[in-house]
Amino acid sequence: MTEEQKNQENSVRYPLFGFPKIIPYAKAHRKTILVMVLCGALVSMIDAVYPLFNRYALDHFIGGQTLDTILPFIFLYLIVLFIQVVTNFISTYFSGKVEMSVDRDLRNAAFNHLQELSFSYFNQNNVGYIHARVMSDTGKIGEMAAWRLMDLVWNGSYLIFMLIMMLSINVRLFFWLLVLVPIDFFITWVFQEKLVTLNRKIREINSRITGNFNEGITGARSIKTLVVEDRMDDDFRKDSEEMRRVSIRAGHYSATLIALVTLMGSTALAIVLWKGGSLTRSGAIQIGTLSVFMSYALSMIDPIQQIVVTLAHLIGIQVNIERFTRLMGQKSDVADTPEVIERYGDTFHPKRENWEPLFGDIEFRSVDFRYPDGDEYVLQNFDLKVPQGTNVAIVGETGAGKSTLVNLVCRFYEPTSGQVLIDGRDARERSQLWLHSNIGYVLQTPHLFSGTVRDNLRYGKPDATDEEIWSALQLVSADDVVKKMDKGLDSEVGEGGDMLSTGEKQLLSFARALLADPRILVLDEATSSIDLLTEHKIQKAIATVIKGRTSFVVAHRLSTIVGADVILAVKDGKIVERGTHQELMKQHGYYHELYTRQFADMAADMVAAQ
Amino acid sequence: MAKVQQSRKTESQKAAAPLAFPTRWSLVISFLRGVKKWYVLFMITSTIVSVLNLVNPKIIGFTVDSVIDSESAEVPWWIAPFVRKAGGLEWLRQNLWAIALFVALVALVRAISRYIAEASSFRASETLVKNMRDDLFSHILRLPYSWHGENSTGDIIQRCTSDVETVKVFLSDQLSQLFVTIIMLFLSLFFMFRINVRLALAAAIFIPVIVFYSLFFHSRIASSFEKADEEEGKLSSIAQENLTGVRVVRAFGRESYERERFEKQNQLYTSYWVKLMRTLSLFWTSGDLVTYLQTLTILVYGSQLAVQGRLTAGDLIAFISYNEMLVWPIRALGRMIAEMSKAGISIDRLRYIMNSEEEKDLPDAVCPPLNQDIEFQHVTYAYENGTDDVLSDVSFKIKGGTTFGILGGTGSGKSTLMHLLDRLYDLPEAEKKDMDSQEAEDQPRAEKKDQPCAESQDLSFARKEEKSVCQGGGRILIGGTDISKIKRAYLRHHVGMVLQEPYLFSRTLSENIAITQPELVMTDVRDAARTASLDETVEHFSKGYDTYVGERGVTLSGGQKQRTAIAQMLIRRPEIMIFDDSLSAVDAETDAKIRAALKTRTRGSTTILISHRISTLMHADSILVLDHGKVSAQGTHEELLKKSPIYRRIYELQVQGSALAERRETE
Repeated sequence: MTEEQKNQENSVRYPLFGFPKIIPYAKAHRKTILVMVLCGALVSMIDAVYPLFNRYALDHFIGGQTLDTILPFIFLYLIVLFIQVVTNFISTYFSGKVEMSVDRDLRNAAFNHLQELSFSYFNQNNVGYIHARVMSDTGKIGEMAAWRLMDLVWNGSYLIFMLIMMLSINVRLFFWLLVLVPIDFFITWVFQEKLVTLNRKIREINSRITGNFNEGITGARSIKTLVVEDRMDDDFRKDSEEMRRVSIRAGHYSATLIALVTLMGSTALAIVLWKGGSLTRSGAIQIGTLSVFMSYALSMIDPIQQIVVTLAHLIGIQVNIERFTRLMGQKSDVADTPEVIERYGDTFHPKRENWEPLFGDIEFRSVDFRYPDGDEYVLQNFDLKVPQGTNVAIVGETGAGKSTLVNLVCRFYEPTSGQVLIDGRDARERSQLWLHSNIGYVLQTPHLFSGTVRDNLRYGKPDATDEEIWSALQLVSADDVVKKMDKGLDSEVGEGGDMLSTGEKQLLSFARALLADPRILVLDEATSSIDLLTEHKIQKAIATVIKGRTSFVVAHRLSTIVGADVILAVKDGKIVERGTHQELMKQHGYYHELYTRQFADMAADMVAAQ
Repeated sequence: MAKVQQSRKTESQKAAAPLAFPTRWSLVISFLRGVKKWYVLFMITSTIVSVLNLVNPKIIGFTVDSVIDSESAEVPWWIAPFVRKAGGLEWLRQNLWAIALFVALVALVRAISRYIAEASSFRASETLVKNMRDDLFSHILRLPYSWHGENSTGDIIQRCTSDVETVKVFLSDQLSQLFVTIIMLFLSLFFMFRINVRLALAAAIFIPVIVFYSLFFHSRIASSFEKADEEEGKLSSIAQENLTGVRVVRAFGRESYERERFEKQNQLYTSYWVKLMRTLSLFWTSGDLVTYLQTLTILVYGSQLAVQGRLTAGDLIAFISYNEMLVWPIRALGRMIAEMSKAGISIDRLRYIMNSEEEKDLPDAVCPPLNQDIEFQHVTYAYENGTDDVLSDVSFKIKGGTTFGILGGTGSGKSTLMHLLDRLYDLPEAEKKDMDSQEAEDQPRAEKKDQPCAESQDLSFARKEEKSVCQGGGRILIGGTDISKIKRAYLRHHVGMVLQEPYLFSRTLSENIAITQPELVMTDVRDAARTASLDETVEHFSKGYDTYVGERGVTLSGGQKQRTAIAQMLIRRPEIMIFDDSLSAVDAETDAKIRAALKTRTRGSTTILISHRISTLMHADSILVLDHGKVSAQGTHEELLKKSPIYRRIYELQVQGSALAERRETE
């Protein structure tokens, strides 16, 4: 957790615990929520009524030494019980339903919103963080809309009904007990505040401990070669000891709270015995009434404690609401204008009938560009014409900013000033989806989705037939990969394609791109070394897929560079050299150095393979 | 799937060897140090609490009957002396505050005991968890490196975090709750039976019904929970895949498809949970029904008994209070028992880690000087799950104090060679000797290699060391001492190894560099950083050497990491230094600069350079060419140029690489 996030956790406070913020999402379920709340209140009311049955039994049956009304008594009890069971079922079931439905709607909203957000958002926030917004914040908010609300309803109405009952039975005893209510609230609140702070601390230490385990396991080799086991051990023990200390302190507070709460209950009871006892002896109330008050005295404390705990929870949930609303309020840096949407449709409702064909002529016209989160221009007054069918290679060291051009071509980002023209028209004149539907994209770390091979290959062309799929596979020599799998095209690739090797994933993603038959192709080559046979296959596959298309290759392999129509060498985010392989080699500049170095590393492998 | 099966297999294999913790309890007991007294204190105080809980209704019953109602003049034996002292019943009737005070006093004692019980339970469980975490962590640190290779990182971390949590909840909450519940159950039943046997019987009949119903229910829905969790996992991974693959999604324009996929799974998951919620609500409310029916039974039957004169009003009130105290713990009991089975599974998962064997030294391990000749004799090695030998029959000698180069391509086995030298992996014989040092003798290699192989295929539960004989053989000697006889920590301490992709710890730069040093001396850190050409880079960081590295801090580039690792090694001044492709991410100029600096600094130590690049190795005193796990040639640069065609070809390609490639292209 960063400092900033920690501060947020402390500072966010919305009016009414942020309930108003989630009203738009709860609206669709307002009837269910209404029934749930009413039933919940009824359940609590009946809970407050039960002691009256005891009173009747004590006063009428035992006091009166008669069983004359026993049957109606049983009958009434059963009716009340039946009503309570039914309403209880409805309120808990509906709570579950509301929780899950609100949850679902929030998740859908967040997920769909993310589909339209621009890349700058994804670059500034890591996947884990965004994922938590979609999966866990929504869960917390759903829980709040249902269970925390019901906690308030149940305990609040239980407390109120009990107080009403007491008031209606005996005013004097009622006032004696009423004194305890604010004291209870106060004590519980003080301790709860303390516990919340300590629990936050515990979570923090806990994530440190998890980090330690992570380091101890992933860094095993370094720890062993450096022989620092003892040091790691000592450091770990410091954290685990702190965890123990803080947890015990939290335990001390919660134990004190529990002890105080039981003490309060007994105090209430003692008061009833003392004051109520005198009243009973003087004949002002009957024994049954005394027993009712004793029951109330004992059960009064629990809802008070529950309400305080719920309020503490609600305060905690503010952070989740804040994060969620911030995500939903996030605007995309790259958005289609209303006119474009009018003509070409939006992300989820495309108007394909109005789409023009795309040929693949690309031109950068005096483009200035800096990343939204950066302060330095990475492109300045940049011009480049890429006629249809041209192969552009971009080379440079890892982290040098080779993806910038590709990001602009794909309109993942837009130029700060200047234009990117596609087929002679500004890219912004047509919809993102139109452009994207004509782009093929092969990632450095090939990304497959869980599902079958067929699902994955059809990703860019949902209606591809098996024949088409097989011929695409053959073209990139990936047919062997699929044939060797036990169910062919129906084989599962596992989460993120886990069941396949990197090389195999790469080949399949080439086939996927080929099937989509895009006019523009973007290849981000792999840096990782794979076995030479696959390497060779991939080389061939690249040659196959880029044929006849406008292509941008973020290159790591020599052979792809050599044949390119234009090579752009990137250093520290800027394009330093531009030309064909021969031209650049003659310059003996940066490209020459890069090339020689890469070649040296490859040479050893090449010779060994022969 | 394959991974799971594999780990299961190794688990069952390990089960054949003598285990450190043969049973679940043996493991739990090992964590109990310094904890027992707190558990005892908890048990004593929580018993006091339970007893006092049950005394309360008695006092009330007595007050109602004898004092307020003056129904019976009978005073229970345990209250009688108090009553007498206070001045008899009549005095009490006039002074009810005395009873109130007594109730409050009892409550105070109870509150104090309750505090002690809770606090000691916390102390016990937190200390226990600390023991558990400490033991796990230090055990994992000392497990052989091969163990780390066999087990997936995510799985181990999950065991160390969520399984530890499950066990903690079990040992702190569940076990103590169970104790209290059982005490309460017996005591209140005892009191209830004392009040009225028939009424107590009527009440007690419901207990087994509630417990078994709840137990049955919770074990039944466990699978539904699993199913719902599974669906949540799927949903979560759809989101995860969408986010990591956001470029692919956008580039193929498949946002609608993704939306559909997510919403469909979201709906499926939601409907599972809603169904589960319905079942749960049904269970809760039917539990309520049974509970209140029981209350009704007691009320009606009790009233009848009271009317018949067999029960006093105070007794009935007391009886109802006992019953109320019982109901909730009993309802929780079923759930508790059902959840305990989870803890058992988690303990087993921790037991798997704790039962794996730590790295050990021979009893008579030695610490010889290490700046001597290093000799590899017929080293053959294959990884446990691999089929091909990574190294086959590799023999060579490194003269102490010299610089030795190893040239080889990807997969030539050069890294394995160094892992063996640093004893990250042990050669099979060494492992065998670890087990019983008596049998340590030199057998001819060929015999040893074929013979036990056939055996281990028959015995799928063959012990690990028998199986691993098939992995290879040979010896590695330093100054004539077999390294398997050298103390591991001593050996590793004097062998410095810089890896191609070094791992940095999430600490500051200076702490990383000086991690092996007992004290952080800034001059040493700076000195080492300068030799590794890291100093200029560090100056660019705003916090300099205090820059935090890793997860929570700055991400260093590959080259910066490599240079940090070199500094980290230099500060130790080891006698044997290994650079395993550790300048690969550094540009040529810096590479040369570092090598020049190293040369002056590392005089006297044996230096082993491993590289793809001949320029890195050519000045070494001797160079070994490794090709697919075999020694292809050895000699100085000049010798190799003459006698090794591979070496010569690589040299040509690299030194004249650009020119050659251009020619190739024109061809």
